[in-house]
Amino acid sequence: MRDIVKRFPGVVALGGVSLHLNRGEVLALMGENGAGKSTLMKVLGGAYLPDDGQIFVDGNPVALNSIKDAKRLGIALIHQELMLAPNLSIAGNIFLGNEKFCWGPLKKLDRGAMNNIARKLLARVGLNLSPSTSVSTLTAGQMQMVEIAKALSASARIIIMDEPTSSLTAGESRQLFQIIRQLKTEGIGIIYISHRMEEVLDLADRITVLRDGKYVGDIEAAGATHDRIVSMMVGREFTHRFPEKSPTPSTEEVLIVRDLLVPGSPFGVSFSARRGEVLGFAGLVGAGRTELMQVIFGVTPALGGSMSLLSQPFVARHTRDAIRRGVYLAPEDRKRHGLVLPMTVAQNTSLPDVSHYASGGRLDRKREDYIAEQQVIRLRIKTPGIHQKVVNLSGGNQQKVVLGKWLAMQPKILILDEPTRGIDVGAKAEIYRQVAELAATGITILMVSSDMEEIIGMSDRVVVMHERAIKGVLLRNELSQERIASLMTGRKIA
Amino acid sequence: MRRELGMFFALVLMCAGLWSSNHDFLNQSNIMNSTRQIAMLGIYAVGVGFVIITGGIDLSIGSVIGLTGVLIAKISSHAVGCMGYSIWIGIGVAMGVAMLIGLAQGLLITRLKLQPFIVTLGGMLLIRGISQTVVEGGTLSIGGIPFAKLADSGLLEWRGDPLLPYPVLIFLVVIILATYVLHFTVFGRYVYAIGGSRDAADYSGINVKRIEATTYVISAGLGGIAGICYASYTGQMSQQVGIGFELPAIAAVVLGGCSLRGGEGTVLGIVIGSAMMKVIDNGIIMFQLKVGSRTLRLDTNWTFIIIGAVILIAVVLDQVVHIVQGKRRTRRAGEVVAARQRGFEITPT
Repeated sequence: MRDIVKRFPGVVALGGVSLHLNRGEVLALMGENGAGKSTLMKVLGGAYLPDDGQIFVDGNPVALNSIKDAKRLGIALIHQELMLAPNLSIAGNIFLGNEKFCWGPLKKLDRGAMNNIARKLLARVGLNLSPSTSVSTLTAGQMQMVEIAKALSASARIIIMDEPTSSLTAGESRQLFQIIRQLKTEGIGIIYISHRMEEVLDLADRITVLRDGKYVGDIEAAGATHDRIVSMMVGREFTHRFPEKSPTPSTEEVLIVRDLLVPGSPFGVSFSARRGEVLGFAGLVGAGRTELMQVIFGVTPALGGSMSLLSQPFVARHTRDAIRRGVYLAPEDRKRHGLVLPMTVAQNTSLPDVSHYASGGRLDRKREDYIAEQQVIRLRIKTPGIHQKVVNLSGGNQQKVVLGKWLAMQPKILILDEPTRGIDVGAKAEIYRQVAELAATGITILMVSSDMEEIIGMSDRVVVMHERAIKGVLLRNELSQERIASLMTGRKIA
Repeated sequence: MRRELGMFFALVLMCAGLWSSNHDFLNQSNIMNSTRQIAMLGIYAVGVGFVIITGGIDLSIGSVIGLTGVLIAKISSHAVGCMGYSIWIGIGVAMGVAMLIGLAQGLLITRLKLQPFIVTLGGMLLIRGISQTVVEGGTLSIGGIPFAKLADSGLLEWRGDPLLPYPVLIFLVVIILATYVLHFTVFGRYVYAIGGSRDAADYSGINVKRIEATTYVISAGLGGIAGICYASYTGQMSQQVGIGFELPAIAAVVLGGCSLRGGEGTVLGIVIGSAMMKVIDNGIIMFQLKVGSRTLRLDTNWTFIIIGAVILIAVVLDQVVHIVQGKRRTRRAGEVVAARQRGFEITPT
């Protein structure tokens, strides 16, 4: 792949990235969230058309206009979220879209032939199961093997694996690595995307690092170390100016979380947040930060552990329990969870609190409008008026409406999950300014962000998570991209 | 409001057309009869509207109407096989049963996360079966008790007919109450918020399950009231009363501007939609064209063809407007992004 460029509305996802893969080689592709790994692989898999650049297979330039084209050239992409139809059998999935059928106008499925081939493929990936087994009964590891068998059935020569071990157990991972090594000896090239440094160092022959949609460099696995890769992944220059932050004088712990057991995570997490502090939560996608916030806010109840808020026990079984105590969440997916899109700015602003300024259940429209006006002025929400439907606002202004609805209710703890994702530079700066002001008035802010710059620029302390566990808490004066990146890829504190 | 206005003009046009073809369309008895029909449909269509605005559906409403009438006949009629208690006991029991049915369906839908379509479909069949069992496959007369005159009598007697039949009076009360609840109370706001985005409502701390379940109680309760009117209107109850009643109500709600996706619609729209359904019904009988000495009339066999076509045309028009608006919105958003990108290039970062 040479000089691949891919633009999306508003962003350049790939700015001229090159990459090469040799026969029988395992190439690891590394980079932070948003570095462009998945986009690049989708271009190679035929899911995205590049805006510029060329792709060569066996030295010949090829055009990958569709996933079908890529498949024909023997390129198979295995997504992180496996793309299997759970209601079909293993053989049905392996041949999905490529079914064998008997001759005739009705194209009757030739199950016998498909099962026979599937059985051989399953043996190749070390899966001792009948091809007619329903996929819904398989474990995550077995499904991964079925995906590889599916790739092999299309006689793939290049297999791309996006975070294949993210849902596998250690044993299943080891089995997967064995298969990968075996595929290698058969001359199949493998591109392996992973955030797990040990795996990469163990498995890869060569490592290509991307950063912010650009190619950074290649390292031979022999000369690679954890630190070297991390320093290639980070090292970005800061472009934003962050508001001056007064050092937090308070040491009063407002929220204490003890062994909180988040559903789907093997162990509890503990941390505490102080009055007037911006507590950043860094980690890679899937590190369990959003899930933790949802438990604190009561979207999903905790399975164990305890929390206390202002020295009082705090249990959130529903979101309304958290809201009653002044703990609010501005969710990651604001269009789905944060806003009722067909409702107006005023109606969205008042939604969580409207029952409190109603007398006898009757809406107090005057008060609603007044409060919405106040928030629009305070947050400089750009809208033709408070009776505009929020669906018509830009992403940055929608986020401000979400903030406004909580600010109108005197937060004690405000959780911001990816507060500036998909927001333009101007609105970002305003949100940063607001967050700093709120913290200065004594509100505690928990800020989940995958934007390293934002985490370092805004946080008083940073909790770094990796695979649903807290790997470390860094103070403001010890924050550096390298330290955070090192922790969030799973290295213990030295 | 624009959609309600559009539907209102369509309704007025339709009435004007019918009147010009047949002046009897606006004579006293036809008006009385039509408004009574509109009222009886409108009472429970408003109830179904509550459910539809939250994004649900209530198919059981026709059976609830039937069961209410059957219970009133069984408990309060003096006919053979009936109990002959006071009419108030009959109404009380029937209304209580109707609302309990709504509550049961609402709880099944919200607590067990079952699909409203299937729960109320099951409810529809089950309740129909209960009605059939109560009447033992036959009919029960409601004649002989003063209640039987409810649908025909009313206030402001004029030329032997009430200007305000009781069903119309009840409908007016329902309209006023529903408008108040849906548009002026916190509960109504929550109904729209849930229909607009169940997740966002939940993340705002709203007790989504309770509100949703309540809408099914409201729907069944108004179904019960409509059932009382129909019982007195038909005068005798069999399991046939109420069959297929849910569909005109859903059609009226959708014609009136509610989306089956939820989050949209007004009580006024539902009232106009109900009027439209019944005017079409009535218009098929009243419409005539005088060509020379011959008078052409519509074949009443066409009723369903015409009603179906009107509904399809209305939703197609609505969707076209929706798509055009959506395109305009995307284009505008695209222009904003483009402008911002140009801005990027100019300002050095």
